[in-house]
This record gives sequence, structure tokens and C-alpha cells, in this order.
Amino acid sequence: MSKIKTLTIGALGFAAAAAVTLLPMNHATAQGPNNDPPQVWDAFGGNQQAQKYSTATQITPDNVKGLKKAWDIHTGDVSSGAHATTWGATPLFANNTVYTGTPRYNIFALEPDTGKMKWKYAANGSKGDENQGLKNRGVAYWAASNPAAGQPCQKMVYVGNMIGQLHGVDADTGKPCAGFGKGGVVDVNAWLTTNAKWKIGLIQPPAVYKDTLILGWAGNDWVYKTENPGTVYGIDARTGALKWTFNIIPSDMLNQTGTANVWAGISVDPETGLAFLPVSSPSPNYYGGDRLKEMPYVTSTTAVNAETGEVKWSRQEIHHDIWDLDINSAPTLVDLNKNGQKIPALVQATKMGFLFVLNRNTGEPIYPIEERPYPASDVKGEVAAKTQPYVPLPEPTVADTTPPVSTLADITSFGECSRWKARIRDEGRYTPPSLRGSVSYPATVGGVEWGGGAVDPTTGTYVVNSDSVVQVYTLVPRAEADKKYGNALRAKDGYAAQQGSAYGFKLENFLNMWGMPCWTPPYGNLLSYDLNTGKLNWKKPFGQVQKWGFYMPESWGSVTIGAPVITKSGLVFIGASMDSRVRAIDLKSGNVLWKAIVDAPAVAQPAVYTYKGKQYVVFAAGGNGILTPRLSDQLVAFALPN
Amino acid sequence: MTQRHSTRGAWLIILASLIAGAICVYDYYTPETGLIGTGGVELVAGAAALMLLASLVLAMVPSRSGLLQGFLVVSILLDIIGSSVAGYFLESPIIMAAEALALIGWLMNVIGDAADRSVEIDDVED
Repeated sequence: MSKIKTLTIGALGFAAAAAVTLLPMNHATAQGPNNDPPQVWDAFGGNQQAQKYSTATQITPDNVKGLKKAWDIHTGDVSSGAHATTWGATPLFANNTVYTGTPRYNIFALEPDTGKMKWKYAANGSKGDENQGLKNRGVAYWAASNPAAGQPCQKMVYVGNMIGQLHGVDADTGKPCAGFGKGGVVDVNAWLTTNAKWKIGLIQPPAVYKDTLILGWAGNDWVYKTENPGTVYGIDARTGALKWTFNIIPSDMLNQTGTANVWAGISVDPETGLAFLPVSSPSPNYYGGDRLKEMPYVTSTTAVNAETGEVKWSRQEIHHDIWDLDINSAPTLVDLNKNGQKIPALVQATKMGFLFVLNRNTGEPIYPIEERPYPASDVKGEVAAKTQPYVPLPEPTVADTTPPVSTLADITSFGECSRWKARIRDEGRYTPPSLRGSVSYPATVGGVEWGGGAVDPTTGTYVVNSDSVVQVYTLVPRAEADKKYGNALRAKDGYAAQQGSAYGFKLENFLNMWGMPCWTPPYGNLLSYDLNTGKLNWKKPFGQVQKWGFYMPESWGSVTIGAPVITKSGLVFIGASMDSRVRAIDLKSGNVLWKAIVDAPAVAQPAVYTYKGKQYVVFAAGGNGILTPRLSDQLVAFALPN
Repeated sequence: MTQRHSTRGAWLIILASLIAGAICVYDYYTPETGLIGTGGVELVAGAAALMLLASLVLAMVPSRSGLLQGFLVVSILLDIIGSSVAGYFLESPIIMAAEALALIGWLMNVIGDAADRSVEIDDVED
């Protein structure tokens, strides 16, 4: 820690007196009496800048203890087993309506104060051929700047499905917009013909800029060497016509690799019209011997013109990724001030636990980024990058070295943990995959997951949840893999084929025979930073592990999927933890002020809105099989009693 | 060889085990508890059932062997301790309160039994 601080202390000066100014918040209005316009939450990240910030002030640190369930609904779209649902939606509040999508591709339009259904749209896309399961992270909302009076579809809601279709419906009625694609459906999957090994998944709703939707997709990682190459699309919001395509992988590498797609949220600067893309890693994810050529856009944050797709700048945040450390969350946009000068910035949270704070107009770092040497690969054919970008400030959310073996887990497993650790390669961050097994820390689940962080743009306070998970990945030579697994693309022991490459691999959680983590807690933290200085305000274990109903100590924290939101009144609202609880946290101290149980882990950030003078906080408690088997279809709103 | 043992406190343990069992059923089927369908609740429910059986024997069979008395007393105490720990980690104050009630019953029974035995011994000495 002190080394990090020493290395970076010189970089602090320019930010010392920085203050933060508000980005345009043109859609947000102050909360007021019943006839005031409501404060909306019209994008996944609260606004297109992915700030996850609400100016609502009715719920405060003083009264949050009185928060009660205002309403909840069950969508009916939940299942486990082979067709398990993964619902990480953040509902939207716009057009005086709460909108949400579901993992079976329905759109629900609800009364914001009662949860009563206004209308429901069934996309009917599920035919059981989704190769990535049934997943949804909600919907997108668009409103015409020059609406044609009396015409439908001047305001639209969009939901994607896991077979690559984007549905567009009228936001008032839920009727399909006939002018959008064919009868209200755009077959995005049909646009992708190169190495089309599987149907793309439109999990994440598109970003919206003026009349353009910016859309990425999710892929079926790990199974092939060459897979669908990463593309991002600009789509006409009214007609669904393709306006532009951004190809991430160089054309001469298409027979060597694939993916490097944008599966997480995309943020947009409404002033400059730049869209910021978090680009994931290329296939095969854990062996890069066939894709040694530089591919500058992969594992990067890339800024493109939202209306043309033209690249403005790109910054690669991990070189030659062989750890599946996708850049996986929408960059959070915020303006910093340095000596009275405004710096347009973004914060790119990552699985590596690094927070890249960049000038969003140029991609240049606001805090220095170092290139540090890392270990070489000992696998035939692989050439690990000699150096990787290292961000000492803000302090990484996870340590550079693997946490020690847990004494409790080791003793109860008769030394299994320490014996396993002794067998495998562990040189801390960026230990290359190996045949004997290598520690993966931070693991592919993060660090920071796809929710990213939230920012209070008035103070520059940035809050983010981060995991501390140890996994072990082992490369399996092709001949051995073929002999043991045949043509299987995946196996229950954690094997994935990477077919076509020299190695398959096995990814295992570092758990003992009883399922206890072999590493020391905490397993997840919530952190607060001052972006003006880059300094950590506080870092606390967050959430609780719940196993067989038993809650583990709070000091152990929890693995989390989801993200926080911040309110102007000084609160952080977050679900995300394994214990199916949602919490309100004091922004200043990090102390938990309120918590409630919901039906399953709320694995996305909540939405905060005001309606008829009342502030609501709404969580989708969908769960995620990565955290716990507990899944649900509950959408639940909390508010102060009248 | 059987002898009469105290039944004091047994009905309190029966009441406590019924409360624990009932709250387990509620927890097991109610999403808002956060314990729906969990193995931990099943464990406490099973322990409550065993405690109910043991305490029924305490209450209904006053003439029992010393061995059986010892077995019941030790079993119920272990049950109370285990269920209390489980209740703590389930974050269920009602289960813990029920176990506290059971502990009071257990103490009443043990102390009562010791007092009865003491009186018997005194009688012999007299």
C-alpha cells in the first residue's frame, strides 16, 4: 500500500484542489410537490453518462430507517435448472411509467406508485435455442426530440433477446412499432455472418444518443478459438436501420480469434456525442498463442462518434489478455475541475480492480498509468505480454497478491487448501495460465463486475463494489482434452473446449471439499473514492455470505454482482450481495443504515425516481446462479410511509 | 432401575420446541425471511422435533432410569446449544428466544430434579 502511495504521490498535486461540476442533467428535476415533474431514471445507469446518481433528497440518512416496501410485483419470468433465468435488470422510470424487461423477453409497464400493470409486451423470442441461457438487464427508452403529433412510436421502449433480436414498442401502449425493423423487430443476429458460431445475446439494453441506438452484444465465451467477432452497431432508433458498424477485431485476425465484443453497458456524452465502449477480451480467452498480433481495440475503452461509429480514441487496459479480464462496465462520466479548469473525465472500472480515470475527450490518463513487468508464460506457444498497464491511483480495489490460505478452510479440509496452493503457479496479478494450474487473482468475476461504480458529480465521490475471488485455471493440451472430454464444449468440472486452439482449459473456484473458500476474507468490499484527489475515502467489507441460510460474519463480506447508486441526500443504495438483502449506506462513513430482505440477490443497481412528490427506490431481485441458486422474478419498490 | 424424576420445566421445553418448530415452518415458506427453503432452517426444525420428543418423555414419563434421565438432559442441552448457535447464524431472534425459553425449562428440570433427589437423600439420612 505504502509503495503504491509512494509511486503516485507526485501525481496528486494537480488534483489536490479539484472540485467537480455537474454534467448536464437535463432530464432530472428537483423533487417537489405533487404537481412537479418527476425525476426520471431513463437509462440503465440512471442517465446516459452512467453516473447512477439521483438528485432526490426525500430519503435521507436520518429517515432511511423508516423505509418500507411500497409495492412489489412478480413477473412470472423465472426458472431454474437447464433454462435458469438471470435477471439483472435496472428498471427505468420515464414517461410517468416504470419499465422493465425480463429474462423471457417481456416488457412490463407499471404504475410508478403502485406497481399496477399498465401494459405488457411479449417478445416471444424464446424457443429454447438460447445458447447463453435466459438473461436480461432491462430495457432502453427513447423519445423523439420532434414528436409527430398523434403518431404512435414517438416514444419507444426496446428489449433485446438472447437470439439476437431487438424489439421496439410504443412506450404508451406497448404495441410493436411497425416501422421498426420488420413489424417491430430488428434481427441483429443476421448482420453478423463471419464465424457465426452461435446466436448473439442482446442482454444489455442499448445506449441512446439523439436518434441513434448504440448496441453491443454478449457472446458464448470459452468454447471456440474463432468465434463471432466483436461488433458494435449504430441503429436508427425509429426504423431500426443499421447506420454504422464498428468492427473491433482487425480483418486479418478473423481466422485466429473472435469475440472482443461489448457486452456491458455503453455510456454517452450528450455534449460531444461520443459513445464509450468497454471492449471485452478475444477468444480463445485463456490461450493467446494464435493471436499474438497486436489488436489495439480489444480489452480497451474506446470512444466512438455515436452517430457514425468513427473512432475518436482508444486505450487498451490490458495487453494480450489471457485471463478473460474483459473491460466489463460502462465508463462513468464526470467532470473534474483542476485549478478552476474543467476536465471532462471518465472512470473505467475493471475486473482487474483498476480504476482508469481518463480524459474522455482524448483518452489521456488524468492520473498516471504505469507499465509494469509481469511474469512470462511457461506454456509452449504462448507469449504473455512483458508489461501491463498498472493504475496506482486511485488505489486498486483488489490487492496485487493472492490472499493467504484460510486457516479455517485449510484445517477443516485436512490441509487440502494449502496442498492445492502448493501445486499451482502463483505469482500474483497476471500469473499466466499453465498446465499445472495457475492462480487467477483478480479472477474473471472481478474485481469490479459489470455494474461499475456510481458518482456524485457535485462532490466527485465515487462508490464501487468489488470482489475478492480466487480461481484456478489449468490449460489442458488438446490431445488430452479430446481424449477426456471428446467433442464436449463444456463440462461440469469447469472445462471449456476452446475448440480449434492448442489448449482447452479448466476453471475452478479455489474451494475446499466442503465448498469453503480457501482464501481469507473479505470476499467483497464497498469502496468510496474522492476523484478530485484519487484518494480512498473508505473501504469496508460489504454484504454477507449466506450458506444453507446461515449468515457468515459481516467482516467476511460477500461476492457481489450489481452496483450502487448515490443520492444527493448522501445515501448509497445497493443490493448485489449473496444474502438477498438490499441496503442503504451512509455515503460519508460507509456504515449500513438500513437493510431489507428481497426474494433473491438484486444483481443490478436499483433505480431511484420521484413521482407525485414521493421518492422510490426500486430493485429487481432476479438473482444470478454465479452467486447463489436463489432466483426470483420480484420487482420491489421501497419508499417512506406517508 | 427406574425412579421418579422431576417433570418441572418440561412443559416449558415443549412450548419452546413448538415455538421453534412453528417459526421454522414460517421461515421455510416465507420469502421475506430470507430463509426460504434453506437447509439451516430444516436443521433447526429437525432439532426442534427431537427436543419435542425428548421433553414429552420428560413430562409424561416421570418414572425413568437414571441413564435415560441423563441421556435426555444432555441431549436437550446439546439441542438447545446447537439450535441457539444456528439461530444466531440464521439471524433469527425468535429461534434464539425460543431456545432461551427452553434453557429456562431445562434449568428448572435439572435443578428441580437435583432438589428432589436432595430431599430423598435427606429423608434417608433422617
